[in-house]
Amino acid sequence: MTLEARVRAGVGAFELDVQLAVAAGELVAVLGPNGAGKTSLLRALAGLLPLSAGRVTLDGVVLEDPVEGIRVPSERRPIGLVFQDYLLFPHLSVLENVAFGLRARGMARAAAIDEARRWLDRVGLPAEGDRRPVSLSGGQAQRVALARVLALNPALLLLDEPMAALDASTRVEFRRDLRRHLESFRGVRLLVTHDPVEAMAMADRLVVLESGRVLQSGTPADVTQHPRSRYVADLVGVNLFRGHASNDVITLAGGGSLTAAGAADGDVFAVVHPRTVALYRTRPDGTPRNVWEGQAVDLDLEGDRVRVRLDGSPSIVAEVTPAAVRELGLDRGDSVWISVKATEINVYQA
Amino acid sequence: MALPLRSQPRARPSAPLPIVILAGAGAAFFIIPLIGLLLRTPWTSAWNELGSPEVLTALRLSLLASFSATAIALVLGVPLAWTFARLTFPGRSVLRALTVLPMVLPPVVGGVALLLAFGRRGLLGGWLATTFGIHLPFTTAGAILAETFVAMPFLVITVEAGLRSMDTRFEDAARTLGASRWTVLWRVTLPLVRPSLIAGAVLCWARALGEFGATITFAGNFPGRTQTMPLAVYLALETNPDAAIVLSLVLLAVSLAVLIGLRDRWLGAS
Repeated sequence: MTLEARVRAGVGAFELDVQLAVAAGELVAVLGPNGAGKTSLLRALAGLLPLSAGRVTLDGVVLEDPVEGIRVPSERRPIGLVFQDYLLFPHLSVLENVAFGLRARGMARAAAIDEARRWLDRVGLPAEGDRRPVSLSGGQAQRVALARVLALNPALLLLDEPMAALDASTRVEFRRDLRRHLESFRGVRLLVTHDPVEAMAMADRLVVLESGRVLQSGTPADVTQHPRSRYVADLVGVNLFRGHASNDVITLAGGGSLTAAGAADGDVFAVVHPRTVALYRTRPDGTPRNVWEGQAVDLDLEGDRVRVRLDGSPSIVAEVTPAAVRELGLDRGDSVWISVKATEINVYQA
Repeated sequence: MALPLRSQPRARPSAPLPIVILAGAGAAFFIIPLIGLLLRTPWTSAWNELGSPEVLTALRLSLLASFSATAIALVLGVPLAWTFARLTFPGRSVLRALTVLPMVLPPVVGGVALLLAFGRRGLLGGWLATTFGIHLPFTTAGAILAETFVAMPFLVITVEAGLRSMDTRFEDAARTLGASRWTVLWRVTLPLVRPSLIAGAVLCWARALGEFGATITFAGNFPGRTQTMPLAVYLALETNPDAAIVLSLVLLAVSLAVLIGLRDRWLGAS
């Protein structure tokens, strides 16, 4: 079972253009900032947003292809979609909510209710069947929404920000729960989130989406070690530069240059971890190949470290100890010398 | 955190005197007629008047006609409201304006228009009479038609507003769960707009119950056939004022009941 999708769709002025392949048993997380088009992508796969071009196939069956004039309506796609705020029907009991899809697909009422009861058992809510959705906690509503969808045994499971409606304090617990329920599911799983922790914790593979385009995809380790966008770099907390390399010297797109050991020729990304950025009051002597002057524009205490945002050519973020800040007498607006060792710069092809 | 505006303590505004006087006069304008009605009610004979055959006949006919009109309005008006709320097609706003027109049209004009359409020499009237033997003017069916014509717009706009304000993603959710469009409509959409359906039906019924102009123009004033309560009140005013007052009181009580029933919707939770 696999999902292969090339989705082109417009929502007003916004244009979504995404290529995606997910294998059975794989859990892929689409990660991106708000407004990146994550929900639109799920709606397109579920048939709620028509494609302007592209093709969606699931297990070799074409669900949508505008060129061939194929468009399987939502209600006939073997797809389960768990909405961000769950959208449990407020006028039905919890049990009737879970039975809804079974009834809609033609199962007799009594059988559907029985099956729904089994699913409520399975998600650990055997006693909540007669309650109204409004009286459920966020975590319970999430499990009902999951049961309602899993009861239909979909070939593709889509989850839209499954944790967004939960309290931060209960998220960790429910993430573990959700992962357990997702592990027992055999179909294709696609999760959408703007929370990097959630994405890293749940997914086998990440797809980074921004402004309707895929910027990067790969395992969580791969993506965090080789960020290819400002968005991912910020998430991971590293400095990301883009530039053109030639003979160990990278001319940066945003101004300035960096010297890196063994930089390949061509367009590259360069990642500098803030911990490897050193600061001096006076121009340092010695071996560092990259030395330039900058101005501290912001100091933030984070845990036992101070993150110093520096304006210069290039601008960079340094992470130093509070003791070092004291010794340097560093404050906002002060000029300092910045140095980065050539060996601390991680360079890879853009 | 900012508090909601209402809960912030603030000085009570003091009103300019002319405003107070005019507002008082405005309120009195509404209250005095009601007091007049209550003061002049012959309470001792009221029960007898209510039990008189003419009053009972008018009451029975009014209930039959207004409930029938509401039923027809539900069957035809809900699909119309759905069409206006969910579909876009050329001429939609023109069509919508035309269907809501009876709300502002003088009812007598509505009655004349109905006569020209369904009267014996009307656009469809002749055809209905010769083909099906259906005669609408001056019949109970005609009274129901006139009431429906005037009252249905209230149902249409109330239900349309409900459909527009509902979260249509519930319908999306139902569809991804395998529900056909028809199932979505019956099991999700209509239950979710139930408050609007009820409010629209009650408004429509109240308007139908009070209908006078279109009914008397199109259906005439035949006791037991087309003489509904408002018509009976008007006629009784000349022959039997006490009966007119008692009938008015009944209609007033119904209106009050409707207002109280829908108070959450209109009067707010203030």
